[in-house]
Amino acid sequence: MFRLFRAAVICLTIGLFYGCASFDGARLPPSDSLKVPPHNEIGNIPFFPQTDYQCGPAVLAMGLAWSGVRTTPDTVAPEVFTPSLKGSLQSAMVGAGRRNARVAYPISGMTALIKELAAGHPVIVLQNLGLSWAPVWHYSLAVGYDLHDRIIILHSGKTARKQLSLDVFRRTWARSDYWGLLILPPDMMPATAQEDVYIAAVIGLERARRWNEALAAYVTALNTWPSSYAAHLGMGNCYYALGDLNGAETVYRGMVFRFPEKGAAYNNLAQVLAEQHKYPEALAAIRSAIRIDGAFADEYRKTLDEIKAKMKTGDY
Amino acid sequence: MINMRSAKKLFIPVRIILVIAMLGLMGPHGGASAAIISTESAVQADQARSDIRKVLERAEIRDALMKQGLDAAEATQRVDSLTDAEAVRLANEIEKLPAGGNALVVAVVAATIVFLILLFTDIAGYTDIFPFVKK
Repeated sequence: MFRLFRAAVICLTIGLFYGCASFDGARLPPSDSLKVPPHNEIGNIPFFPQTDYQCGPAVLAMGLAWSGVRTTPDTVAPEVFTPSLKGSLQSAMVGAGRRNARVAYPISGMTALIKELAAGHPVIVLQNLGLSWAPVWHYSLAVGYDLHDRIIILHSGKTARKQLSLDVFRRTWARSDYWGLLILPPDMMPATAQEDVYIAAVIGLERARRWNEALAAYVTALNTWPSSYAAHLGMGNCYYALGDLNGAETVYRGMVFRFPEKGAAYNNLAQVLAEQHKYPEALAAIRSAIRIDGAFADEYRKTLDEIKAKMKTGDY
Repeated sequence: MINMRSAKKLFIPVRIILVIAMLGLMGPHGGASAAIISTESAVQADQARSDIRKVLERAEIRDALMKQGLDAAEATQRVDSLTDAEAVRLANEIEKLPAGGNALVVAVVAATIVFLILLFTDIAGYTDIFPFVKK
């Protein structure tokens, strides 16, 4: 019996949720109000069956492979798996997505899941196949649904295209507080994207030092939200990190016209100007920042001091 | 044998050195020097949390991941790929990680009970553990 139980415990991840939180927005509204086709299944997703406890690496590798990264579960395992926990922490799944140059976008709830699947985006889901006090944590990749037959289609464990009743799935997913993750190439926007969540996901790419992909993702963000201050600043900062001072200068110059009330753009403009030895212009920019004041006032003054110091040493 | 408390004390200077080293490595995100204001700090609503505190938190997570058996380089990379908000969340979660080390007998008895309960809930359609239970 013990062996049977072990065999059944397909994959244990240390879930960090105790009990299920709110059910708000969790249940699906009537299918016609969702504005999605009654069924959809994403084809061409490679299937990697998992080995013992390795559902995290297998599912992440499938998501990455769908998004165009050539990889295998064995390749990504060192980036997600924590041997002592016999599982993969959610934060490691997010981080590994970024380390492979992909936007890791979190989603939550049945409506968002179905909308993303309808848009052709597979979703990594964390299920607790057991109970809140006897958890069996398991990652699957949701690849399709059929609202008429009320089923969800998952690449799960050793089974490709596992069909599971929507109700059973919803109960197992609820226990992770509906934790879902999209792994998207930087030119693709989530169907359910919210500006602040998307920007945070791209900042994560910056954190992982994937500047080229972060830059591309900020461009994607600006296509959807043309007036996003954060996406503009992020673009400039990516150019700067890539050593493209001209590119950065162009973005920051645009920003000080567009967002004249934001000191950070003036500060960063001053910095790239100073690095190009354009000191008079740099001084004018940083003085504008200091006039605006705000949360970064100390940084502005530091930038001003540095520009003055550079001018003194005659670094022309 | 060194007990945990004195081992912790031993590590304090190591930690301080680590933090200083990390501050130096932080680059555009650190805020330790002036220069470029990062996208992340620009969108952060809560400016009260100091950069030093954030760096300390990241050092703590790194230590915790290393205690889970990851090597220093991998632990650093995992922490570095997270935003500040995600790092704070992970730091809180790591504290709750189960300690492990249960007695075998207790585990076998518990597993038997859990098996029976899960079998029942599987049949009722509340869980999805056993492939042989038709759903």
